[in-house]
Amino acid sequence: MDERSMRDLAGRAISEARAAGAQDARAFVTRSRDVTVEWRDGKLDRIRESTAQSLSVSLYVDGRFSASGTSDLRPDAVAQFVRGMVGATRTLAPDPHRHLPDPARYAGATQADLQISDPAVATVAPDARLADARRLEEAARAGDGDGRIVSVTAGVGDTEAAWVGMSTNGFDATERSTSFGRSIEVAVRDAGDRKPEGYAYADACFAADLPSIEALGAEALRRADGQRGSKQAPTGSYEVVIENRVVSRLARYLFGALAGEDLQQKSSFLEGKLGARIGSELLTVTSDPHLPRGLATSAWDSEGMVTSKLPVFEKGVVKTYFLDTYYASKLGAQPTTGEWNNLVWTKGKRDAAAMIAGMKKGIFVTDFTGGNSNGTTGDFSLGIKGFYVEKGAIAHPVSEMNLAGNHLEIWKQLVEVGNDPWTSAGNRAPSLRFKKAQCSGT
Amino acid sequence: MRDDSNQRRLTRRDFLAAAGSGLVLGPAFLASCGAPAEPTAFVPRAAAPPAATYFARFGVDEALMSRVLGEALARGGEYADLYFQHEVVNYLALEDGAVNQAYARIKLGCGVRVLQGDQTGFAFTEDLSPEALSSAARTAAVVANAAGVPGPAAFARGAPPNYYMIDQPWSSVSLDRKIPFLDRANAAAAAFDKRIVKVRVFVSDTESRVLVANSAGGIVEDFRPMTTAYCTCVAEDKGRREENYHSFGKRRGFEQYSDAVMTELGETAARKAVVLFEAAPPPAGEYPVVLAPGLSGILLHEAMGHGFEADFNRKGISVYSGRVGQKVAPEFVTIVDDGTVPNERGSLNVDDEGQATARTVLVENGVLVGYLHDLISARHFGVAPTGNGRRDCYMFPPVPRMRNTYMLNGPHDPAEILRSVKKGIYAETFSNGQVNIGAGDFSFYLKNGYLIEDGKLGRPVKDANLIGFGPKVLEQVQMVGNDLALDRGAGTCGKDGQRVPVGMGLPTVKCGGISVGGVNDG
Repeated sequence: MDERSMRDLAGRAISEARAAGAQDARAFVTRSRDVTVEWRDGKLDRIRESTAQSLSVSLYVDGRFSASGTSDLRPDAVAQFVRGMVGATRTLAPDPHRHLPDPARYAGATQADLQISDPAVATVAPDARLADARRLEEAARAGDGDGRIVSVTAGVGDTEAAWVGMSTNGFDATERSTSFGRSIEVAVRDAGDRKPEGYAYADACFAADLPSIEALGAEALRRADGQRGSKQAPTGSYEVVIENRVVSRLARYLFGALAGEDLQQKSSFLEGKLGARIGSELLTVTSDPHLPRGLATSAWDSEGMVTSKLPVFEKGVVKTYFLDTYYASKLGAQPTTGEWNNLVWTKGKRDAAAMIAGMKKGIFVTDFTGGNSNGTTGDFSLGIKGFYVEKGAIAHPVSEMNLAGNHLEIWKQLVEVGNDPWTSAGNRAPSLRFKKAQCSGT
Repeated sequence: MRDDSNQRRLTRRDFLAAAGSGLVLGPAFLASCGAPAEPTAFVPRAAAPPAATYFARFGVDEALMSRVLGEALARGGEYADLYFQHEVVNYLALEDGAVNQAYARIKLGCGVRVLQGDQTGFAFTEDLSPEALSSAARTAAVVANAAGVPGPAAFARGAPPNYYMIDQPWSSVSLDRKIPFLDRANAAAAAFDKRIVKVRVFVSDTESRVLVANSAGGIVEDFRPMTTAYCTCVAEDKGRREENYHSFGKRRGFEQYSDAVMTELGETAARKAVVLFEAAPPPAGEYPVVLAPGLSGILLHEAMGHGFEADFNRKGISVYSGRVGQKVAPEFVTIVDDGTVPNERGSLNVDDEGQATARTVLVENGVLVGYLHDLISARHFGVAPTGNGRRDCYMFPPVPRMRNTYMLNGPHDPAEILRSVKKGIYAETFSNGQVNIGAGDFSFYLKNGYLIEDGKLGRPVKDANLIGFGPKVLEQVQMVGNDLALDRGAGTCGKDGQRVPVGMGLPTVKCGGISVGGVNDG
């Protein structure tokens, strides 16, 4: 489906909705093509190629609301689908808080080149993916002098996506994006039947921004090796460093508590905290939707409102709640946006390795495994893997341990942010050092 | 604009298999390799001549399927299959006292797969026209590199048993008939305790039609109903707040719903929320854990189940690789994965490769007797497929997955198990779990439980991640009760970027070697 067909489909869906009696409607048509090659233990393991397309419609009918999607895009099926949903919507309870965004919010989208679509995606040769995946595995195997590797799976892929959005009150936009990724997992022999795995990955909007295949392969093996002989450290309160690429596993509960839905439903530990200090001076994070080549860069949000830079935390103070049109109305507030974009943290002076070198006794967390957080109270408990650090040096790897606490406490313990933002995700967190956190082991 | 989550794009890592398989609760082929499986697979056969398939309405007939399978094998390959799916999901939500949100999702598409040894070529299309199907087949064909093979000259239709008999299919139920049941759960939750300040109720129903056609000439169809319901409650007391939920998930039609069922859903969610006011995180450290019957089956799912999935074992990366025939647990431990329990969430008439499902024994009297297989791993190990080849939808190739995984009853009296613990945790409800396949460490998150003091239940505890080394926990299962219960909740398992519904169950079980992620001053 080309862009013109996508526009036609979105326009037809809106017309059908109106004809069936909807006062307002919004339609998105999305299309994405994805190719992934997985190479395992010396040969091609899986090759997957797909093109997905769908229509989604939000319907506003006699003060009532529904939202639906379909991949059955045959013209008759689309007409029947939209008419059916308009009818179903009429049977719901009315909801005075449901309406499209103020059309003023559609205007003034950034004209800057956001660089989220790499033309190179159209010319990736199938053989090049295979060759890259093979080289990625070989890069990991190159460090295996003694046959300790059990298995290596390397993945290489690229995606191109596009969407068209339209609404009855004037939203009309389209955006294209691409992403390129490489990932590798290595399992190595350890005592008994244990085969610890190490993984490395990178994602980028532009192919040229990916790190070298050799570095990525070597990193995965190094990470697997690092977990050999892991054991628990004693239960206690420790200084903790969390590696950049996994910070978001802890921080997502903090950002999640800023969502309008959770605030309005009284299930957020950050309710009533707008303008209050909940973390240390070092907790300064901005949502930047226009960061060139950012993995969460976009000129519009999912309601079609144009995006802008928002301070999320400033020196530990809550600066923004993420309010979409619906929950803003329920809360009697002005909408901001329902979602964050690239999260850019204040940059520190050192990386994780330097922080560890300065640590007397503590835990370096390199991965999380399971766990959860109570969104209402902020209590959390997460499984961790990493290293026990003594006198600035790694003493032994740790596993089967937990990190537990409360979000309203732990962010006050943040004493250092790294200079090493993680760029393979929307949350570009650097490594973080906490003065004190509860870790349980033996 | 983004999809419905803040994970704007899937990271590439989501497409890889090994690490971090987990569970969220809540919300005959290839005769050449000597596999004992029957080449044309989908037994038993129907005696009567087949009627047109469901997908005939989309213009898909046997001639087209044969041609597309031939195109999939145009560069050789040992096997090819087509997986057609048409799925309709309806979702209703009650918030702030009114059923004011409806969502629907329709999926229509076909996945084409070609196997060459253990190598897979895969593509899907959401356009079922002959041209689009041919294009997908040519894409999947690239995995092979040999002389072409024609598609099957004729198809034999499989006639699987039905493990999900229903009275009222969802396609016959209009939206307005469902609304009173959400109101019922809301009223029950609100009336249960005056501290309940917010209630949300979600009900979803699914009808999925699938058809698998393979290059060995097998065709089988399945009609898969499902319904899930969730109730979440926020309670407020003296400035403190707590939240909890309850759910059920069944392969049932509208007959699943009654005032009694929804009253219980609302009241249970409310009870689980207000009890948290008396609870605190448990003290941190390692002590005995007694698992309550039912939902605690999450322990089996994470600590053992994923490790028994044969893709991890054929690759040699599971902590259980090469251990078939060995003692992995005390002799009073028997674990099964069962696709045949009537109307259970993880049950299947046939798996997503069209294979018959079964009650597959994994651990029998403490000995590991087998793995969970898809066609690739069954061929690799030279055994019959077990009917565990599952996929999220037509967008994915199948991989070995659990269905309903549970432990059979043991010799111990549940009261005696509790009495045997001087200081420990009684674990009752959970929200999620995860495992690292090779390293063997697993975790599951405790939402409601109690301290055990001198053989009796003490104060309630909450919000702690429990973590352990799967093989050690299984070896050291200390006692198994005689009170097996299957969980009724809406469990969903994630692996390889794919989500599938699963069931689980456990009798009361006492374990050691589990580290409790609590706080010191708990």
